[in-house]
Amino acid sequence: MPRLETLSEVQRRTLEFFPCLENDATPWMPPAQDLAHSKVALVTTAGLHLRGDQPFARDSAGGDSSYRVIPSDSPPAEVMQSHFSIGFDHTGIYRDLNVTFPMDRLRELAARGVIGSLSANYYSFMGALRDPSRLIAETGPEVGRRLLAEGVEVALLTPT
Amino acid sequence: MLARILEEHKIATTSIVMVREHAALVKPPRALFVPFYFGFALGRPDDPAYQHRVIRAAFDLLAAPAGPVLADFPEDGDPSIMPQASEVTAAPFQVSRNTADEVTALRAFYERWVVSHGGRTAVGLSGIPQRRFRGMVPFLEAVARGEDADFPERPAEVSRPQFIRYCADDLKAFYYEARMAQQPTADAEALHRWFWGSTAAGKLIADLAAQLNAAEDPTLRAIAYGLAR
Repeated sequence: MPRLETLSEVQRRTLEFFPCLENDATPWMPPAQDLAHSKVALVTTAGLHLRGDQPFARDSAGGDSSYRVIPSDSPPAEVMQSHFSIGFDHTGIYRDLNVTFPMDRLRELAARGVIGSLSANYYSFMGALRDPSRLIAETGPEVGRRLLAEGVEVALLTPT
Repeated sequence: MLARILEEHKIATTSIVMVREHAALVKPPRALFVPFYFGFALGRPDDPAYQHRVIRAAFDLLAAPAGPVLADFPEDGDPSIMPQASEVTAAPFQVSRNTADEVTALRAFYERWVVSHGGRTAVGLSGIPQRRFRGMVPFLEAVARGEDADFPERPAEVSRPQFIRYCADDLKAFYYEARMAQQPTADAEALHRWFWGSTAAGKLIADLAAQLNAAEDPTLRAIAYGLAR
């Protein structure tokens, strides 16, 4: 992000007063093995989904805590975005999906042996949730269990 | 928040974050703060080498012995300005232009864009083919006037308010992608100034947002969020 002081007043105030959950410590899982032998997944909060899949929707409570599955071998042309915030510049992802969701870059890293393998599925959520309670209680853990069942050891998380 | 949940499920995570202040509060296990504008998490579109540097920096955090880790990407971001509708001075000819005619005029550029991008397009949320956008415009214009209009091709499973939003987002994406084919050297700021200040569609979307924001129906007000400001 541009640092807060460089933003418009509207955007700066929105971010300064965004209702973040605060934590004192963090959960910690050391990688099971080095990256060159790890199975890696992409997880994003950019509101992405496959063309033809149900777009994310904005309800009157201001959020959508559901998630979408994006097979890692999906062509970039099949991935689209329904993130409804006006607070980000859409022109980047119009030009290149990888600027938000680096599917091609991870394929290149796997081909070079920098990462061991790619998970079968990637996962996408909507970001900027003002009420993350369902994400915390339900959909986030569900994706955690799915990733674990798919043998994923490392996840790269990207915003939009 | 999501990184913490995945980490609790035995997945080692590394996150690219764009609001340093939020990451410091939430404390994801490993976070790389990047100084890019929202929408550019990997820095630069169509620059694989730069994107790889960002990814490398994020993966490097996996070597940290303990967390939380909040590191800074060591390169400056490109300056980015994203003017909103209310910040752009309308061109004198904007009010006399017609969105339906603009759609027709831009179609060839849009189709050129799609071909040159391997078939990839941000258009498609509404389910209405772009060749029908000229017909979709009067629907959006009627909604912007406060009329209780509907569109006969709206999918039954999509609510009218949500469909309005998808149509508006599709129309914006159509214009931006057409413009990027029409003027390939235009940067992001130029694209936004063109859309909001020089096109009839920009005025239509701004009018639509104003109308929806004033609606009594909370579902209409909800879908106005993010449409125009």
